[in-house]
Amino acid sequence: MHPLANLARHGYLALALVVFLESIGLPVPAALALIAAGTAAVSHAIAARYALPLALGATLAGDLLLYLAGRLSGWWLLGVLCRVSLNPESCILKSAQRFHRRGKLTLVVAKFIPGINTMAPPMAGSMRMPFLRFLQYDLAGAAAYVGAYFAVGYAFAGVIDVVYRKTMGLTRAVEWLAVAALAAYILYRFLLYWKHRRADVAPRITVHALADLQRNEPQKILIGDVRSHGYYDRGAQRIAGSVRLEPSKLLVGEEQLPRDRELYLYCT
Amino acid sequence: MAQKLRDRGFNAFVIAGGLREWSKAGYPLEQVPEADIVLLPVFT
Repeated sequence: MHPLANLARHGYLALALVVFLESIGLPVPAALALIAAGTAAVSHAIAARYALPLALGATLAGDLLLYLAGRLSGWWLLGVLCRVSLNPESCILKSAQRFHRRGKLTLVVAKFIPGINTMAPPMAGSMRMPFLRFLQYDLAGAAAYVGAYFAVGYAFAGVIDVVYRKTMGLTRAVEWLAVAALAAYILYRFLLYWKHRRADVAPRITVHALADLQRNEPQKILIGDVRSHGYYDRGAQRIAGSVRLEPSKLLVGEEQLPRDRELYLYCT
Repeated sequence: MAQKLRDRGFNAFVIAGGLREWSKAGYPLEQVPEADIVLLPVFT
């Protein structure tokens, strides 16, 4: 079925849902939905005077949710978002510093930059950007994003329709390509997991055994806190007698670690 | 992290359950000293 027919049928709800889901970080093509909406508006399948405010509202709703989550959770949410990064600690620190330097401008352009679009609102919350200031800049950014893609769809409606009709024959091939790409990605993730699961073979110690060791032979052990974000809030606690071992520098500065003591590492 | 250190010749282990398990068992905790706190920037 032609995507415009789909949009006309499921209409405003589908547009709002897609835009909202993208704003909270899910990988859905909100830009494409907005372009389709703009194209649909040309043929009056939907009305721009309803679609635009709805899309804007859905974007703002998602951003506000993340802003509040950042505000309430401190740095925890950012830690979760950075977990997928190769270096979570560096991700948190650098993201925060960059955002602090260019916070307002970042909020305006964030929506156009994959990755940043999801990080910007919770960072604003975690860094206690005043609510009205956040709303002001986020609204500007959301309006620019929604408006820009909608306008592209509206302005190039004729071209988009022609391109779609000409590529209809390729639909089956594109579908198979998408399935193959997804299968390859799943296989890649599985191989990555299989390769790294050997990390599970690092021996473990129970807290009771460690407490005994700490009590009876403290000079033989070193307890290391390798949390990537636990140190960013005042009032954070750690195991008594443990020391901070920065994950990003752990392997680089390994000559600082004692080889004649047993190292016991923990995070959460 | 522990496995990588072991690969480099360190005698490294993982504390099963981490801080959560330690805290639940009632073993002593301490506040992170000021010098170790990495404060991230905030807007004023």
